[in-house]
Amino acid sequence: MYRSYKMIFLYLLLPFVLTGCWSSKEIEDLAMYTGMALDIGQPAPIEEEFEAKGAEYSKHNKVMTTIQIVPMKTVGTKDKNNTGSTKKPYLNVSGSGDSILEIFRQFSIRLDRPIIGHHLKVIVISSKLLRKQTIEQMSDFVLRDNDIRPSTKVYISQGDAKETLESSEPNEIPSFHITGMYRNQMRTSKVLDFVTLSKLDALMKTKRSFVLQNLVSGGGQIEFSGAGIIKGSSGHWIGNLNQEDAECLAWITNKGKAGAIKAYDWDNQPLTYEIKSIKSKISPHVDEGKISFKVHLAVEGRLIETWNKNNIPSTNYYAEKTSKIIEEKFAKMVQALMNKLQSKYKVDVAGFGNRLAIVYPSVWKQVEDDWDDTFSRSEVNFTYDISVTDFGSITETE
Amino acid sequence: MSFLSSIAHHIPDWIVFCQALIALLVPILATRIYKTLHSFVGTGKNLDTNKVSQTLESTRAATPFSGDYQTDLQAILSKIGSNSDLHTREFPLTKLNARGTLFCVDGMQNERILNMKMMEFLMFKATGDVLAEPSKAEDLLPFSSLSTISDIDNFNRSVLFGHAGLLIEGMPHGLLIEFPNGANRSIDEPVSEALIRGPRLGFSEVLSENTSMLRRQGFSDQLEMKSYLVGTRLQKDLVIAYMKDIVNPDLLQEVQTRVNNLNSDFLADSGYIEQLIEDNYLSPFQQVQNTERPDRVINALLEGRIAILLDGTPFALIVPVTFSMLLQTPEDYYERWIPGSLLRMLRFGAAFVALMGPALYISLIAFHPGLIPTELAISIIETRQGVPFPALIEVLILEVSIEILREAGIRLPKPIGPAMGIVGGLIIGDAAVQAGIVSPFLVIVVAVTAISSFSIPTYSAGVTLRLLRFVSMMFAAFLGMFGTILFFLLLCSHLTKLKSFGVPYLTPASPFRATDWKDLFFRAPLSLMKRRPAMLKTKDSKRKS
Amino acid sequence: MFNRTDDKITTSQAGVFLTNTVLGAGILTMPRSITQDMKTPDSWLTILLGGIIVMLAILLMVKLSQQFPGQTVFQYAGRIAGKFPSKVLCLLLVVYFILIAGFEIRSLAEVTLFFLLEGTPIWAVILPFIWVGTYLVLGGINSIARVFQIIFPITILVLLASYGFSLRLFDINNLRPVLGSGVLPVLHGLKSSVLVYTGCEVVMTLVAFMQHPHQAVKAMMGGIAIPFALYFLTIVFVIGGLTADAVITSTWPTIDLIRSFEYTGFFVERLEFPLMVIWLMQMFCNFCSFFFQASLGVSQLFKFSITSVIYVMVPLIFLAAMVPKSIQDVFALGDAIGTMGLTLFLLLPVLLSFIWIIRKKGLKQHV
Repeated sequence: MYRSYKMIFLYLLLPFVLTGCWSSKEIEDLAMYTGMALDIGQPAPIEEEFEAKGAEYSKHNKVMTTIQIVPMKTVGTKDKNNTGSTKKPYLNVSGSGDSILEIFRQFSIRLDRPIIGHHLKVIVISSKLLRKQTIEQMSDFVLRDNDIRPSTKVYISQGDAKETLESSEPNEIPSFHITGMYRNQMRTSKVLDFVTLSKLDALMKTKRSFVLQNLVSGGGQIEFSGAGIIKGSSGHWIGNLNQEDAECLAWITNKGKAGAIKAYDWDNQPLTYEIKSIKSKISPHVDEGKISFKVHLAVEGRLIETWNKNNIPSTNYYAEKTSKIIEEKFAKMVQALMNKLQSKYKVDVAGFGNRLAIVYPSVWKQVEDDWDDTFSRSEVNFTYDISVTDFGSITETE
Repeated sequence: MSFLSSIAHHIPDWIVFCQALIALLVPILATRIYKTLHSFVGTGKNLDTNKVSQTLESTRAATPFSGDYQTDLQAILSKIGSNSDLHTREFPLTKLNARGTLFCVDGMQNERILNMKMMEFLMFKATGDVLAEPSKAEDLLPFSSLSTISDIDNFNRSVLFGHAGLLIEGMPHGLLIEFPNGANRSIDEPVSEALIRGPRLGFSEVLSENTSMLRRQGFSDQLEMKSYLVGTRLQKDLVIAYMKDIVNPDLLQEVQTRVNNLNSDFLADSGYIEQLIEDNYLSPFQQVQNTERPDRVINALLEGRIAILLDGTPFALIVPVTFSMLLQTPEDYYERWIPGSLLRMLRFGAAFVALMGPALYISLIAFHPGLIPTELAISIIETRQGVPFPALIEVLILEVSIEILREAGIRLPKPIGPAMGIVGGLIIGDAAVQAGIVSPFLVIVVAVTAISSFSIPTYSAGVTLRLLRFVSMMFAAFLGMFGTILFFLLLCSHLTKLKSFGVPYLTPASPFRATDWKDLFFRAPLSLMKRRPAMLKTKDSKRKS
Repeated sequence: MFNRTDDKITTSQAGVFLTNTVLGAGILTMPRSITQDMKTPDSWLTILLGGIIVMLAILLMVKLSQQFPGQTVFQYAGRIAGKFPSKVLCLLLVVYFILIAGFEIRSLAEVTLFFLLEGTPIWAVILPFIWVGTYLVLGGINSIARVFQIIFPITILVLLASYGFSLRLFDINNLRPVLGSGVLPVLHGLKSSVLVYTGCEVVMTLVAFMQHPHQAVKAMMGGIAIPFALYFLTIVFVIGGLTADAVITSTWPTIDLIRSFEYTGFFVERLEFPLMVIWLMQMFCNFCSFFFQASLGVSQLFKFSITSVIYVMVPLIFLAAMVPKSIQDVFALGDAIGTMGLTLFLLLPVLLSFIWIIRKKGLKQHV
């Protein structure tokens, strides 16, 4: 008798076991999106068509979200010989609305597979959108979501963000292309350190201004072009730094390690200097409430290209001469950048505030709230120490 | 008031209480089932000693030799004379003027030697004074292995077992003059434990050969072998071997008790003994190690372990065993220590893969797509499109077919085996992918898992891991990564509770014995291994003087 | 004796036991809970200070327990403070252990459901976990200590490796300025930094199980030093990697840190995978420890057999885990447990030693 009770109990347990696997979703039945673009709100072309037929819901079209789904579903068994197809390996889906999650759920009534964000690699936000909405609003969902990883990279685009997720190359996934582009940082400092979501979170929390790398698209190709400035106090985009400014910013903040500097030499011929190492030191000074900064840039590099017909002998004299020219160029670039930061945009995106906070915490406490203004009034002095260590693999004598 | 309402707010639903009830009932029920099962089979430790000895006694109702030649001969023939393979040869002892009878069983004795030497001696040379005094007979007969038996039944058994028996008129007992010399195979390489470097000697089916192999490992007067007769109906010799000055006496006592308590009418193989003396019947893990290699046995003896050898099987048993031993092989010590250590770590890794590989696959594919690297995720999606089954079914299809293949490979005659491997492994695998039944990625996973499980030196441990692999797959299919971890924790909990002859199964990992770690994942240079494993609490702990 | 039948643990096992008891949900939440109270990046100073305080407390508990060799607090409390008051105190301790066990298991379920098993009902996560725990706890302190010994090195290895990989995010400037806002915030955070060590009360039962009780101080100090160091590393790496401002608003800051980078081309590109694995195993240890302590307490107080007490504990712990309705409730429960821990510390070891000293020294009684 007792045993039969046990058996009944076991059978009762069975349904629990059989209804298991609640969270089981096969990976191929899910749609991974690897890229996401946020644009100014306007109904996407397909949506317009839908809406024309009355398929709509209540919304104000504040933002348009585009996601890039990879890989495309292939029909039937793989034909290995069928290489002729130039079908794109990705699918971009756009929708607009007032809430990113709501837009995502709208996608769910259009797609055959649920979308998952675990593999989101890159978020591109159009600068026009950021003029209307704040970066906090645009990143709130992606920071809260449990699928999207904080390692996702964030970029700004000058034109439409969704265009950066298009590519003219067959068999290329644009979001991976963008993700991989930072690898060129070892070649040029025009490629800034990428900003991940977690870093963005930290930057937004401190309410300080910062820059995000700017993306420009054209002809199915994309390019990193300078950086967009986000004003900390408002969270809006206020303007762009051009490529040389961005490069210069990287050097000042000690994040750039490479780059080429082209100047014109004594004969007005191009002369290119390749940076091997660059070190910057920002030292804040507080003198009776007046805040000033000294920046020292120590650069080592080599002369790598010259178009001058007269040869440039590999001597210390010419090294000196070259470095003078480079220094002038440097000063010019830095001046241009500082002009933009202090006069045009009145923001500190170069980490002067951080240095002040570390060295003079008590002074920082007083100026923290309107630091961008205080910074634009502060004096910043630059000193340079530029050396030409070698002339490449050509050695010329006088 | 608000405090009370907040308490009331936090009192859970009745559903939660039901779940709590289930939470209570399941472990109680599980324990009950476990206990019931356990009491069904009992344990090797507590068998009833008295019962065994009684049954043994009852079969040995002794009938002594009467001393009268004719009566004794009749008695013997009436009992075993109906066997067609029994040869009896009656002959006169000319010098003695008496009669004698030689008994032997077909195929157990070398006929030529019997005829030439013995008959010649007995018929023509044996004189009266040789056999006049029974006590002197043993000294004067020219046979090296000679014993007298005073009990007819015993005599009968021995003759049928293959001894040459001799009955001589005027002697009040039977003589056994030659050991059985039945058909044996030659000594071969150990089949189940192939090796590259080291002695290529494997045990054979003859106990005396096996013990001699152990003896021949080296000079020592401390290697002690104690013989037992086991089995109630068909009796067999069993030998317990140990190093007298090393082995822990309590351990020896424990092994002897368990061997004494063996109660079975026939022990066909040492596997019977293994199952009858182990600590926990319900554990999937073996608590006794079996081996065909004398070098492994002697190494174990020198560590303070005890070997059990049974007549009729080339597999010796080693007790106590720890989990790490199953993944070690004597070759680790024959190779230099760096490759030895690396290979050993590789094996531990392989064991992990063999156990967890498919479970990880299932949990990653079906539950946590976010934990796979992106590029890999994309290629998996691409290959899995068109696979109609969920991950668990897909894995089961392939895993089960691999297991069938393996099982078939053992049964097949040797020349067909490799062909079968090619057909099964390559063709079926490729065809399954082509047909879209499984994904190519899974074929890799399953193949790696299968190969890993074959890299485990002890065959039976490999089987255990393969069996547990299916359990882990179930856990993974149920709760994904979480389930896999639960399975691992459950396994850990089980292993820590398990003991082999009083030695915790996971020693030295836990309980932690730092000195024994030299020989766990890592095989320290021999010059550093100065002591025997601490876990065995040996009498003499130093390996070097 | 070849066969060990006594329920004693070695010195190293005792140390690991304490480590695994203390190291729990705190690894994931502690950077936030402390930084929230402080609002400066100086949390690492607080954790150091809190650690020293806890070490002193443990020293007191060990010394007290050593006066009664072979006896747990549930047994000797009666000899010091009398039968009834001690029973009430010890029962409080048992309730405290049950609550922690429930809390730990609930945090585990929350993390699992959020990151790993979205959509699975919570009981399906909690129940199997408790059952596996029951299986282990039924094996007694020896089995538990052995499992701890297996899991402990894996935890340490993976945890340190994950932190090591996070070095690419680490920026020392995020930890600066040191004491930029003075010493006051450090003292503010002190309470929550002591709270991350909740569970160290097990010292009072652990000493009784030690094979060599005279080594208890060494074992317990070693046992608390490891979580101490790990917590310190956690807070340094998390704040150094994420900045204090971001940590304050992050629910599970340590997971966020590890999710903030990827090692492309590495087989485990995403290191939260190993981190979650070891954290789940660590939580199992943590849970089993409290489960065992609670059962031991009841069985010793009321002379029940420990096996039946363990079975009864299962639904109790399950209910304790299910009581919070939301994650805010869970964290509130965590805070309540912390406060309760502090109170219990004042009530049990401090009060008991006080009474003991008075009775022994003042009244010359033989206790």
